Amino acid sequence: MKLSTILVVDDDENDQFICEYTIRKFDPAIRILKAHDGTEALSVLESETPDAIILDINMPIMNGFEFLEHYATAFAHHAPVVAMLTSSQLGSDRERAMRHPFVKSYLEKPLTIEHLRHMQELLEA
Amino acid sequence: MQRDDRQWRLTGFSAGLWCIIVGVGMIVFWLAEPVELAARHPEIFGMKFNAALAFTLLGGAFVAALSGYRTLPFLAALPVFVYGVIALAQHVFGVDLGIDRLLYDPFTDIGTSVPGRIAPNTALCFILISLALMRRALRGGSDIVQLVCSYAAVAIAATSLVGYLIDFDTAHDWIVHTRMSVQSATCFLALGVGILFVGARPAGYQRMAIAASLGVATYLILLTLAYLKVSAQATRLPFAIDREGISSIAGTLLDLILLSGLIYAGLVAYSYWNSRRYRESASHLSESQDRLAAIINNAVDGILTVSANGTILSANPACQRIFGHAPADVVGRPIRLLLPGRLAGGGEAAGSDHGGAASAGCFVTGGEMDGQRKDGRIFPVELSVAKVELAEGTVYTAIIRDISERKHFERQLLAANAELEEFAYRTSHDLRSPIASSIGLLNISRELLENGEYDALSGALERMERNFTRLDQLIQNIIVLTRDRLMEEEDQRFSPFDVVQNQADSLATLEEDGRVRIANHIPPELTIVSKPSKFEVIVGNLLSNAIKYHDPQEPDPRVDVRLEEHGGTIRFVVEDNGIGVPEEKRPLLFRMFKRLHPSRSFGSGLGLYIMKKSAESLGGAVRYEAKDKGSRFIVELPNGE
Repeated sequence: MKLSTILVVDDDENDQFICEYTIRKFDPAIRILKAHDGTEALSVLESETPDAIILDINMPIMNGFEFLEHYATAFAHHAPVVAMLTSSQLGSDRERAMRHPFVKSYLEKPLTIEHLRHMQELLEA
Repeated sequence: MQRDDRQWRLTGFSAGLWCIIVGVGMIVFWLAEPVELAARHPEIFGMKFNAALAFTLLGGAFVAALSGYRTLPFLAALPVFVYGVIALAQHVFGVDLGIDRLLYDPFTDIGTSVPGRIAPNTALCFILISLALMRRALRGGSDIVQLVCSYAAVAIAATSLVGYLIDFDTAHDWIVHTRMSVQSATCFLALGVGILFVGARPAGYQRMAIAASLGVATYLILLTLAYLKVSAQATRLPFAIDREGISSIAGTLLDLILLSGLIYAGLVAYSYWNSRRYRESASHLSESQDRLAAIINNAVDGILTVSANGTILSANPACQRIFGHAPADVVGRPIRLLLPGRLAGGGEAAGSDHGGAASAGCFVTGGEMDGQRKDGRIFPVELSVAKVELAEGTVYTAIIRDISERKHFERQLLAANAELEEFAYRTSHDLRSPIASSIGLLNISRELLENGEYDALSGALERMERNFTRLDQLIQNIIVLTRDRLMEEEDQRFSPFDVVQNQADSLATLEEDGRVRIANHIPPELTIVSKPSKFEVIVGNLLSNAIKYHDPQEPDPRVDVRLEEHGGTIRFVVEDNGIGVPEEKRPLLFRMFKRLHPSRSFGSGLGLYIMKKSAESLGGAVRYEAKDKGSRFIVELPNGE
């Protein structure tokens, strides 16, 4: 199974730009959905379930953790690969995210081709 | 010890009074001349008129000396001394100097050597006692001469008194037919003891030693007199055999008496030594008790003793400070009055409803607990308890410390620490974020350069520039925050109008389209006293915040700045007609790193946090009020005038 849709949740325009550029380069056929915080992401997910979600943690309105809580309780069907993408791997953030079974990976910014290749493998596994 | 001295002074007064009573009584008897009484009880008139007068004088002199007089007792004792010397001289030299009947011619006589003449031992005692009294009057205290004189007088008087008791004439009759009367012996004894013991301690003499040695001396004198009498009797016997028999019996008797005397002296010495030791240990004990009491009474911590069934046995003064109850009010009350049995964690201690023993049981565990003040207020205490097994049962001593202040600081410290950790976490994230993003952009730029896509490259470079500007802003903010926290700044008088104007001008150059209008309504002539750099930080953050969150749809975006001062309080108000703050986000407004508007996430998220910290460090506060359209920030500061 190939990655065909990815939802990028990040409040930073530059990070959105980097993600979009990298995904295009990895596979121009992938459809990219965008959200700037947790609430926007939830409303996108109500209409469709992507193959993967790339999720930032520090966002205004609803941060990555709050989003994960809502996503775990309010949705029965989850995206096969949810990857955290954060600027620093500090403290207990990693364990807190990995408690959710659908969180498969914990990546450090910036997003790279290797990251996407890893997500592709996770999807196939 | 002082009470001891008072008692001895009282004894001294009694001795003096006794002499006066006996002396005056005898004078009255002599002057009344009751012939019949004298015929029936001649022994009453053993004390001569002269002697009665002398005792009256001595008694008065002693009372006067004890009352602090100097001249009066000396003048009273002097004639007695002269009389004593003359009376003794008559005996020694066998002459009659006419002193015996100078003042009074006795109507009766008990068969003395010369009517009205006092015995030689009485005369000697008068000399000794009057000498001692004169010394006492002159010196005002005890000394060795008084000690020796009164010691000798007491020994002589005691010997003669014991002689009366055991019917042993030699003890009081130093020469035939002239004896020291019982009355005289008691008076000498009283005066002698008084002089010996009153004021002996301040002069450094041991009363116990004096009394013990007096006992021994009297015994030895009696012994010697007995031996002399037996020997004299022996020599008067007509036959040598009888003389030898009597002598040998007398010798055996004497040996026995001497031996018993030695044992007696040994016992006296031992009891003296023992009593000294007891006194010493008693004084050590009372000293150590005093020391302990001083520690307990001055301790900062509360110290309680509690019985095994939970009754308070004692409480030190610090308990009053801690609990508000006077120590006397809590003694006898249950410990639950002060420690209601709730452990610091909340909830009733196990088994505390089974009465006193259980409440003592919960109390003996020690540690942190809740205490209750007299006014009912519950406060945290730290308790350390020791179990003491005494003969009368088990008691617990508890040291109680009020830890309200420590708990308060603990909470403050924890809050500060949590804030610091949050700050470290957020800064490390926010510092790395633009760098991570720039690394990504750099890689993209390289590819775009290689592919010759120059338009896209320029866009990527602009993004990188914005990243670094953001990073710079964040670092600048951290510097402001740190400086704000560390910098010591003096109060100064300045114009808030100028500060607002300068900040507005410098922000105008940064603003993209210059649409937002800043209206400075502060009277230009108004001055306030505060810390200018901190005030500048507050103004700068509020203005840049208002500009950042202006409403792009608003035809006339504006910021109104006002400042009023009354009653020593400065009220600084910044109002805008921007996008405002959604109600659910208002509690987060002044928290660090909270960016509340997703679509406009520029800025470090530290602005309002820095502003609040600055206001707090000026002793003020900041609050937010929502408007129908836009926001109103109100900063209240004390005017340092």
